[in-house]
Amino acid sequence: MEIIIALGVIALIAIFLVVQYNRLIRLNVAVDESFAQIEVQLKRRADLIPNLVETVKGYAEHEKSTFDAVVAARAKATSATSLTDVAAADGMLTQALRGLLAVAEAYPDLKASSNFLSLQEELATTENKVSFARQFYNDNVRSLNTAVKTMPTNFFAGLAKVSEREFYEVEDPQSRQVPNVKF
Amino acid sequence: MAEVGNFRGLQAANKRKTFALLILFGLLMWFVAYAALTYFGGSTAYLVPFAVAISLISVWGSYYGSDRLVLTMTGAKLITENDNPKLFNLVHEVVIASGLPMPKVAIVVDPAPNAFATGRNPEHALIAFTTGILDVMDRDQLQGVIAHEMSHVANRDTLVSAVAASTAGAIAILSDFLMRIMFFGGRRDSNNNSNPIALVVSLIVLIMAPLAAMLLKSAISRKRESLADATAVSFTRNPAGLRSALEVLARDSTVVQQRSTAVAHIWIESPLDAKAVSRLFASHPPIEERIATLRAMESLS
Repeated sequence: MEIIIALGVIALIAIFLVVQYNRLIRLNVAVDESFAQIEVQLKRRADLIPNLVETVKGYAEHEKSTFDAVVAARAKATSATSLTDVAAADGMLTQALRGLLAVAEAYPDLKASSNFLSLQEELATTENKVSFARQFYNDNVRSLNTAVKTMPTNFFAGLAKVSEREFYEVEDPQSRQVPNVKF
Repeated sequence: MAEVGNFRGLQAANKRKTFALLILFGLLMWFVAYAALTYFGGSTAYLVPFAVAISLISVWGSYYGSDRLVLTMTGAKLITENDNPKLFNLVHEVVIASGLPMPKVAIVVDPAPNAFATGRNPEHALIAFTTGILDVMDRDQLQGVIAHEMSHVANRDTLVSAVAASTAGAIAILSDFLMRIMFFGGRRDSNNNSNPIALVVSLIVLIMAPLAAMLLKSAISRKRESLADATAVSFTRNPAGLRSALEVLARDSTVVQQRSTAVAHIWIESPLDAKAVSRLFASHPPIEERIATLRAMESLS
């Protein structure tokens, strides 16, 4: 009888350990997956840019500095790999694109062209996808970091080789003015 | 935690309330069974599992096949990305924000603006939109509506409503059986030592139980709608989009043509005439209340 109870207690402890360990691993994998999603969406955006620049160029040849800023930011964004580099390039490109769209505002013919209209929907959805991918990544990082810091999962963080991860923060002064729910 | 206007607090509060309501449902079921045994004696004991079984089979069949069943009941047609790339873009945005798998997307040809979600789990989810809602809403509003529908998927609301429906169904069937037995002069067992007050109370419980079950079912449905609104904000972080979408729905007086009560609860806006059903039996909270809650979240930012 005592042996059965002892075995039962050992089994329960083992299950508890496995559950905690797996939870940490799962959270860590979720962070990796959501970072991959950010990269997928940034790539989509980078692929849209040549077409957009060509379209705008057709109507507004004189805005050379704006085009150069977009192309340079794109080149930087496609070559970045580490989290901080990707985030920095992402922020630069976001601003350069905003500048390009502001230029487009001044050319009514361009704004009315069918090519530009279809690009506009593509750009709107891509911007949303990029920002939702960032948000989802940060939510996952938040869950992981909470688990790494709180009991009882913090005891297993070393064993599972899981540590706190960095948030994806885009340097963009304008984004702070956008009405958003913050915590 | 539960500060007003904070969607995380709202989500937690709505989940707690749903849980409490489901517990109440279990208690009600137990009361009915107990009342039946008191009133009719032990000979009716076999009816309880029988009623539960009938209800489970009918409800769970429709739960399992909900995505296909609802397609035929509402006349929705599945569409592919090429039919409406803009809608698919919007759905994909919310998919990224929520981390859920891509649902099937369907269209109902109907001028009334409305939308719904169904499916037994996120992998079998289906969200449908009327042609009316696609015509009247802008990008942000549609995004809010899609986020609301995807929240139903994320919160497993098809499962929650199936649990509520099968319990309410079992109670209705059981009370119906017992009424018939009573009506056709079925006698309770000849153990006349029962307390007359207990008999009267049992009778009242049996008569009132189906009504109470309906009320509970509606209350659960309303809580799930509030929860879906809060979860939608956690996906888009843009309460204004869903709020203005609800305002469009509130202004619009047309209702979806087929007004089957069987599928009323799945739409984002109740397709039933608000005056025909009293507030307590409504499957949705009043739309003004939902708008006010979202407005409170906006002011928090």
